[in-house]
Amino acid sequence: QALPSRATGSGSSILVSPRQKGNPILTNLRSFAWEYSDIPADYVLGQTTCALFLSLKYHRLHPEYIYNRIRNLQGKYNLRILLTMVDIGNHEDSLKELAKTSLVNNVTVILSWSAAEAARYLELYKSYEHANPTAIRGVESKGYAEKMVEFVTVPRSINKTDAVTLVSAFGSLRAAVNARPEEIAVIGGWGEKKVRKWCTVVNEPFRVRK
Amino acid sequence: YSRKLIATGSFNLWGFTYQQQIFQELHEKDELVVISRGLGLLRLVTNLLHSYDAAGNNLILLVGADERENGWIGEALAEHAAISMAPRARGLSVVNTDVMSVGTREKMYTQGGIFSVTSRILVVDLLTSLLNPERITGVVVLHADKIVATSLEAFILRIYRQKNKAGFLKAFSDNPQPFATGFSPLSTMMRNLFLRNVSVWPRFQMQVAQSLEGKKKAEVIELEVPMSESMRHIQHAIMECVEVSIGELKKGNSGLEMEDWNVDSALHKQFDMVVRRQLDPVWHRVSWKTKQIVNDLSVLRGMLHTLLTYDAVSFNRHLDTILAAHAPPPGSTRQNQSPWLFLDAAHTIFDTAKRRVYTGKAPQSGAESLDALRPVLEEQPKWAVLADVMEEIDRDLYFNPVPRDDSNGTILIMCTDTEQCRQLREYLQTMHVHSHAEARDQDEQEEVDEHEEEHEPSAEFMMRRKLRNYLKWKNQFAKISAALFTETQKALSGATNSKSASTPSSRGKAPANKRRRVRGCGNTGTAPSRATNGSLQASEDKPLEVAALMSEIQPTEVEAAQKEEVVADPLEDMEDYYQLYDMQDLVVIHAYDGDMDEHILEEVKPRYIIMYEPDASFVRRIEVYRSSHNDRNVRVYFLYYSGSVEEQRYLSSVRREKDAFTKLIKEKSSMALTMTTDAQGIEDPQEAFLRTINTRIAGGGRLAATAQPPRVVVDVREFQSSLPSLLHGRSMVIVPCMLTVGDYILSPNICIERKSINDLISSFKDGRLYNQAESMLQHYKSPMLLIEFDQNKSFTLEPFADLSGSLSSMSSSNTSSDLQSKLVLLTLAFPKLRIIWSSSPFQTAEIFEALKTQEPEPDPIAAVRVGLEAGQQAEDQTFNRQPQDMLRVIPGVTGNNIKNIVLEMDSLKDVANASVEELDPVVGKEAGRQISRFFKKSVIEE
Repeated sequence: QALPSRATGSGSSILVSPRQKGNPILTNLRSFAWEYSDIPADYVLGQTTCALFLSLKYHRLHPEYIYNRIRNLQGKYNLRILLTMVDIGNHEDSLKELAKTSLVNNVTVILSWSAAEAARYLELYKSYEHANPTAIRGVESKGYAEKMVEFVTVPRSINKTDAVTLVSAFGSLRAAVNARPEEIAVIGGWGEKKVRKWCTVVNEPFRVRK
Repeated sequence: YSRKLIATGSFNLWGFTYQQQIFQELHEKDELVVISRGLGLLRLVTNLLHSYDAAGNNLILLVGADERENGWIGEALAEHAAISMAPRARGLSVVNTDVMSVGTREKMYTQGGIFSVTSRILVVDLLTSLLNPERITGVVVLHADKIVATSLEAFILRIYRQKNKAGFLKAFSDNPQPFATGFSPLSTMMRNLFLRNVSVWPRFQMQVAQSLEGKKKAEVIELEVPMSESMRHIQHAIMECVEVSIGELKKGNSGLEMEDWNVDSALHKQFDMVVRRQLDPVWHRVSWKTKQIVNDLSVLRGMLHTLLTYDAVSFNRHLDTILAAHAPPPGSTRQNQSPWLFLDAAHTIFDTAKRRVYTGKAPQSGAESLDALRPVLEEQPKWAVLADVMEEIDRDLYFNPVPRDDSNGTILIMCTDTEQCRQLREYLQTMHVHSHAEARDQDEQEEVDEHEEEHEPSAEFMMRRKLRNYLKWKNQFAKISAALFTETQKALSGATNSKSASTPSSRGKAPANKRRRVRGCGNTGTAPSRATNGSLQASEDKPLEVAALMSEIQPTEVEAAQKEEVVADPLEDMEDYYQLYDMQDLVVIHAYDGDMDEHILEEVKPRYIIMYEPDASFVRRIEVYRSSHNDRNVRVYFLYYSGSVEEQRYLSSVRREKDAFTKLIKEKSSMALTMTTDAQGIEDPQEAFLRTINTRIAGGGRLAATAQPPRVVVDVREFQSSLPSLLHGRSMVIVPCMLTVGDYILSPNICIERKSINDLISSFKDGRLYNQAESMLQHYKSPMLLIEFDQNKSFTLEPFADLSGSLSSMSSSNTSSDLQSKLVLLTLAFPKLRIIWSSSPFQTAEIFEALKTQEPEPDPIAAVRVGLEAGQQAEDQTFNRQPQDMLRVIPGVTGNNIKNIVLEMDSLKDVANASVEELDPVVGKEAGRQISRFFKKSVIEE
């Protein structure tokens, strides 16, 4: 009910081309206000971002359609999303063609499998319009225990319980890294394989030397 | 060769007609040999290899051997060469790392001999013609059961067969199951192996049976040991937890085929893997909870095993750590915790395990703590049986002191792992030490006088020592886990999270829990208590009671006296696999170790073998050993817990192998038909694809017709995936290179980074993808991210966390964890990055072909140079993957400074020991501080 901000202008709402009337995506657009507007794209999601919607079912019947639409964008917009609905079973050939298209015509293909998912993509693009990409730059903050467990369990055979027993047996990660194999082997649950794996991984040089 | 070898087989290698016949067959034709485990597969392989080795002037490749097999075969070949004095034999050369430079490898190959090369390296060497396929005399394949159409090994064989039709090809397997699951699996496998003949040698085959049973059999004494009552209770409770967990899985994944999931399958050695495999196609879409439960199943399976192998104290300690590690994460609700922890059965497990160690009533007021806690120290039932057996052997030795045969008179005890070895060693060493008896000489043990007080062998001494260590440990561990998981506990007890709507209701249930607790065990004070939300929590025994217990088990005089002599330092001798010590004779305790066990039998020449745990292939090895040495007598004691998973597992493994062989033989008899229909009946489209392409290339017409075949530069690290193989099948020329930027270079402009869904998730998490996209954009006009789904997995992304609500109603942390949200961020950050969606590697190959048309061919030399700084060599860029993945987790390490770390520092150990001052020039002060703090942080002093 309470929309983040009343739709006052194009700045805070998604612009929708009248062509999209009847598309079930619109009923799923709940988080942002949207308004019809005369635009060459199907959706405008920000100053430099737009989206064209394509159903693969439709694409198979009218292969020319999407090329005309792309041409009509006239090179505008920095990020041009081709929001593609995978609504047919044998999508392989169509997707192969779209991959080639994306290369030639500078569009970015995003696939969705339902109207709700497609609508969510539109909402996300709008809501991240001014966001920083910190969430994908690997700077998550976590507690020590979580990080420690994550660190120790990188080798696949070592599990969470092993991580806890290891660090509690040696007191700190530094001591655990420096431990001799025979010292680790006496810890419950640390069989030969795990011991070997751990000792190899902490001693192995980062770079392979010739 | 065969005649010569049979003559030189001076050490019992050719005692059996079945071995002779297989050998004969292998010399006559190319074939696949499937043989029962334990019947001497490696011996067969080494004999074969030696025959070629001795002839000299050969270039033979051994494909698919693991490290230990390389060791085994290498040693055996050297031995053969020494015995037969073959002047031209060169033995086995192993190429298993990138360390050997290209030049060295090339030189080795030209010299010839027998090579075992890691598949990833071999495929590159074949593609670059460092090793010319036409020069190969023949290929020997181990673990043929693992070779599926898209595997590296199949790729290697394809390259080999394309260019070399004359060389031989022999494949081996001692695992019949994969050949007997699925639709006509044998013929599929045969196609992958480019073989037409198969030779099957199960244990029940007539010739094998005659060889092993015709002569004197080994004397086998089977000892069925009942489990103790509490062990039975625990096993039962674990099974109940497994059952409930599987039930939950079924509930949560109704769309899946799971009829055959039941507790019986829990008896399989790796039932959690079976479950995992079933869920694999949708793994990236299953809920967090499902993953959690699958994880739980592994934990529970481990418990079933440790219950039988660990002593009561160690088992209880193990459970303590499991409980601590499963402490709920901060802010969690009942919804995202392991369901089994909520069961009464879980309570039974933890409670019974504890009561095997110590027991007692909690003092009512805290005053009368006299009989607060008493040690119980239940012994493993097999120990007493083992002691009996040892005594029987002693008697036997007494009456027949001098062995009349070639055996050493040694006692060989076989068990599952080194942990068990240590336990048994300590038990045997201390079983005659009694804490309350007067000190007596060990020699006196011989004469057991019935009038004197009884001195049954017991583990009391060992168990008391273990309990003392346990209590010390427990005290410290409580502090550690508190330090580690404080945030957790706070968040839990605070229950401030508005989402944990279940908290009030479970609080209402608190009395019920309390009642259950009392009813359940009767010692309120020591039982694990339940958290507000009903899961089990580790409980602390009151310090006073522990102190009482501690004083109760203080070393007695006798124990103290004994201590220095016998308490073995568990650390000593760890280097050796087995420990030797003097009893009456020599006793060797050894862990089952696959094919290595053959060596043990030959070296130890035991007169008595005690199989402390059942192992089907070891039984065969004994049979082989016994039948090949007419002059040695062996008596085998075979111990197992009745009604245990151990027994079930043994029986079912024997049964399943037999079933597999039966199926295999059936398919073999009808195979001529399937082989001719060829492309029909191939269910996997990828295989069908490869198959049709093969014939095309074999014809040679198409390749010759095209002026310049399409070329793709592929990063050498990509050879772990099946895509290079499929591209090769699509008649593209694969140029393996060491790339710094991108995985596949299709043209001077197109650079592709390939990500499977799992890679995608993890590389978003640690920021790797962001950096990769950045550097691709820097160097290429058309950088592309390829999102590749698995052929057998569903072609959709993980569902959004919550599609029904509106975006604003969800907390921000929740949305940004979605994979899709991250994709949105990525495309916003890099509008020029294109995304390719592919439903399978096979589909990717087609897309690549389409993308390449009308583009110029890529230049491998330029591709290698991209991203390198001045003066850097491509070879410097070979990194070990895992240490780097671990580096990325460390707080303070970022996508930018990780490069410096791997260039400036040596290894993780180096980083862990570095001071802030040492880290400063590499990563800067702040990051250095964070890294140093992460490693130095002590979990004890807090």
